[in-house]
Amino acid sequence: MSAEVSAVFLVRGSTDELVPAELRDGIGELELQHWEHHWRPYLIERVRAMQAQGVPRAKWPQQLHWNWRLKATVAEMFLGQRGFATRCEGMTQGLMLVGLLSDARIVEQRGKPLVYVDYLEAAPWNQSSLQRPPKYRGVGSLLIHAAVTLSVEETFSGRTGLHSLPQSDTFYRNVCGMTDLGLDAAKQNLRYFEMTPEQAQVFLKKGR
Amino acid sequence: MKVHVTQEWCLVMARREGDLEVGAGPRAPYIESEEIGPATAEARIAFGRFVHLIRRQRRMSIEQLAKDASLDLAELVRIEDDLHHVPEPRSVYQLARIFNIPQQRLMQLAGLAVPKSERFRAEAIKFAARSESTEALSSEERQALEQFIRVLSERQEA
Repeated sequence: MSAEVSAVFLVRGSTDELVPAELRDGIGELELQHWEHHWRPYLIERVRAMQAQGVPRAKWPQQLHWNWRLKATVAEMFLGQRGFATRCEGMTQGLMLVGLLSDARIVEQRGKPLVYVDYLEAAPWNQSSLQRPPKYRGVGSLLIHAAVTLSVEETFSGRTGLHSLPQSDTFYRNVCGMTDLGLDAAKQNLRYFEMTPEQAQVFLKKGR
Repeated sequence: MKVHVTQEWCLVMARREGDLEVGAGPRAPYIESEEIGPATAEARIAFGRFVHLIRRQRRMSIEQLAKDASLDLAELVRIEDDLHHVPEPRSVYQLARIFNIPQQRLMQLAGLAVPKSERFRAEAIKFAARSESTEALSSEERQALEQFIRVLSERQEA
């Protein structure tokens, strides 16, 4: 099955210029090979360098042990899970897995279905904690755009929820404009963010 | 699904995103657990890969193994996927039973018991290094798996 591909753009970190990219509806074998043969070796090398420099574990990349091949395989087994990828200049730049079986938590939306972002990760060279400047900027925004678009398509009105990794809270709060519902003791004390239909419309129109 | 975005949207959002991190999803639990040393961490790499490879060697789906071992599917996914997930002792015992591996050895591999021998630790690390690939079980992987099963099955040193 071939993935549906949308034409999008990322911004090159070193020059601030737009670069044509793809947003792919589906995580395929090539994306998984990029993760295995390019993302992981890069991450492992950086972590070894951090270890050698005495950087505390708490500051190591928190996606270090995510296994996208297994996640994608498990997602295939379950209805209601979808994968997305961004690709630019022949390389996967970001991956996201979402679920369609969760409900909103914001009081006025409580119980209504939303798209829940199970996992979202930018390629390590796009993470400023690992490379400055990052190779491309905009990966997170494009993937969240995909999640919101899916939510609209599924008649969930753009409702989207996720648990942010601690260093990403600012992105979801300030750039995506999501509501911060605080730390979730049931989910490793990660901060839960949710986007209402109104916030989704604002997000989709931000660049206009 | 098609996504419709303009060049302008991409540029504005990329600039707003700037150098912010964007990761979402559960973090690896080891980060909060400073007492887990590199040796234990490497043993757990071996444990997750061992379960993953032996399951594939036996041509079992992850669901089938969860059912046969009476394990929660989510727990089994985390065992294979989350490098530093600390498995429930019951899960390890159940897997040892299914795979016919001495329970104590598998407990050591899972980081729930301290290995008594340096050789065991070294073999676990060697196995982890040789089973990096998650593609189809290659002859090299099969060899590594079989050799490691032999080590796991050896009598415990005093």
